[in-house]
Amino acid sequence: MFYAQLLVNGLVQGLVIGLAALSITLVFGIARFPNAATGDFMTFGAYSALSAHKVTGSIAMGGLAAIIATGVISLLAYLAVFRRLAERSVVALLVASIGIAFFIRAVLGVAFGHSQQVFQVPLSRPYVFGSVRITPLDLQLALVALAALALVFAILYLTPIGRQMRAVADNRDLARVSGIRPDRVMIALWLLAGSVAGIAGMMLGIKTIVTPEFGWEMLLPAFTAGILGGIGSPVGAVVAGLILGVVQEVSTPFVGFTYKIALAFIIMLAVLLVRPRGLFGRLEGAR
Amino acid sequence: MEAYFIAIGIIALIYVILSLGLTLQYGLTGLINFGHVGFFAIGAYTSALLALKGVPLVLSFAAAAALAGLAAWPLGLVSLRLRDDYFAIVTLGFSEVVRIVITSEGWLTNGVQGLPGIPRLYEGLGGSAAQLAVLVTVLAVTLVGTWIIRRIAGSPFGRLIEAIRDNEEAVQALGKDPARFKIQVLVVGAALAGIAGAFYAHYITYIVPDQFIPLVTFYVWMAIIMGGVGRVSGAIVGTAILMLFLEGSRFLRDIVPGVSEVDMASVRIGAVGLLLVLFIMYRPQGLMGDYTKR
Repeated sequence: MFYAQLLVNGLVQGLVIGLAALSITLVFGIARFPNAATGDFMTFGAYSALSAHKVTGSIAMGGLAAIIATGVISLLAYLAVFRRLAERSVVALLVASIGIAFFIRAVLGVAFGHSQQVFQVPLSRPYVFGSVRITPLDLQLALVALAALALVFAILYLTPIGRQMRAVADNRDLARVSGIRPDRVMIALWLLAGSVAGIAGMMLGIKTIVTPEFGWEMLLPAFTAGILGGIGSPVGAVVAGLILGVVQEVSTPFVGFTYKIALAFIIMLAVLLVRPRGLFGRLEGAR
Repeated sequence: MEAYFIAIGIIALIYVILSLGLTLQYGLTGLINFGHVGFFAIGAYTSALLALKGVPLVLSFAAAAALAGLAAWPLGLVSLRLRDDYFAIVTLGFSEVVRIVITSEGWLTNGVQGLPGIPRLYEGLGGSAAQLAVLVTVLAVTLVGTWIIRRIAGSPFGRLIEAIRDNEEAVQALGKDPARFKIQVLVVGAALAGIAGAFYAHYITYIVPDQFIPLVTFYVWMAIIMGGVGRVSGAIVGTAILMLFLEGSRFLRDIVPGVSEVDMASVRIGAVGLLLVLFIMYRPQGLMGDYTKR
């Protein structure tokens, strides 16, 4: 079955979109603006992983580098810029996030050049189930993504700082009068959002080729998944990412490879018009 | 040297027309349009394709403005129902989709190879006289555009759209429907961008999808933020600085040895990013900004 194969490919792609959307939805839910630098955080994660992989030869070390380095960059962006704009209008934060995105892309372009880079991963024989072929690499990537998701959800739902983050997302003023220190929550948020974007970037880099622009191109699908899942809903972001990944893959035979991103845009418009709070969102919404 | 200044003048005025459109949309009305380059691209390709088919340039320019404005119409309908930040994402997505369509539909647009040999304006005059005539024409359009936007800003309509920007609920409470005005503003701004695109196509004579990346949108944003949001003078001063920056970076590359074009492109995009962040943080009202507000 040709479509079963596309479904499998779509699920792996969907995990990448879901992780990126998770990063967006966390920031949107807690810091209250759409972070347009998320795509370039992903690029940063991919190059960090690429460098660590070249030095150590280990994908695991690459993943660790992506998590740490991107988390730190994301935190720096918050401390240097977003924190000081917290009381300003959403436009200020949006334009600043675009500025940070451009700046990161420029630094990566100068540091690593513009030629396409690939992770040198060993080729291996795919497992064959009937007519569906799954490569061990895809399986490993899926496991990494699931482990990352499990960790994020454990932090969000099992730790005190996670509970505080969810409280701030739910009602900022109520959280503050309940004695939650916003500073700590924001630092945890940006570390988490950066690390998640970094892992997503590394996965995308392993699946495709790395260029300084490649993360930016994921921004639209990631926003779409965030909105489809319902802004501020971590579960929604992941579910919507998987749906979008599968829809994009399965529709490729009909609409062609290049229209994947256009398809994401159409889905985003449709969701915003028909059900702006998405699949799992709360009532306060896009209007 | 004279030819160089005329060339710079034409490009600068094209950017002024773009920033006038954004001033109307964001500066006066508060619509966060992150997809300006999409309307610019629609104008450029519309006029270029029609002109290559032999349509007179007057008509192809009109079609460029009309089609760009028309493309803004559905976005306007969507925008009425969305919060500002969602509208920003939608417009950004729109401009990316425009570029994807232009890239993919090779039968119409010749895809990534682009459209070469677009007829120039005033081709009959030849050489520098034609260049000068183009400059005068763009200048005339810019002045008319500036005049219209100044008139709008000072009119009841202008006060109304500024009121929408500052407090939409209050406008509704006064019995005015913000929706209609938002759509009008969006369409007019997009049509201006379409005209800018037509001038661009017929001046450069060769367009490819890569000329219409989101960076262009943020060049215009940088111009109006540096100049001072909501001010026509700000749009003009900001564009002047933008041109100094763009041309300056080209000179710099010629002077400093061993810097490749891709590296320079990186430096340019990095500088745009840094300037956007610094102006937003430290001088949000821009150089010509309105200090009496906020």
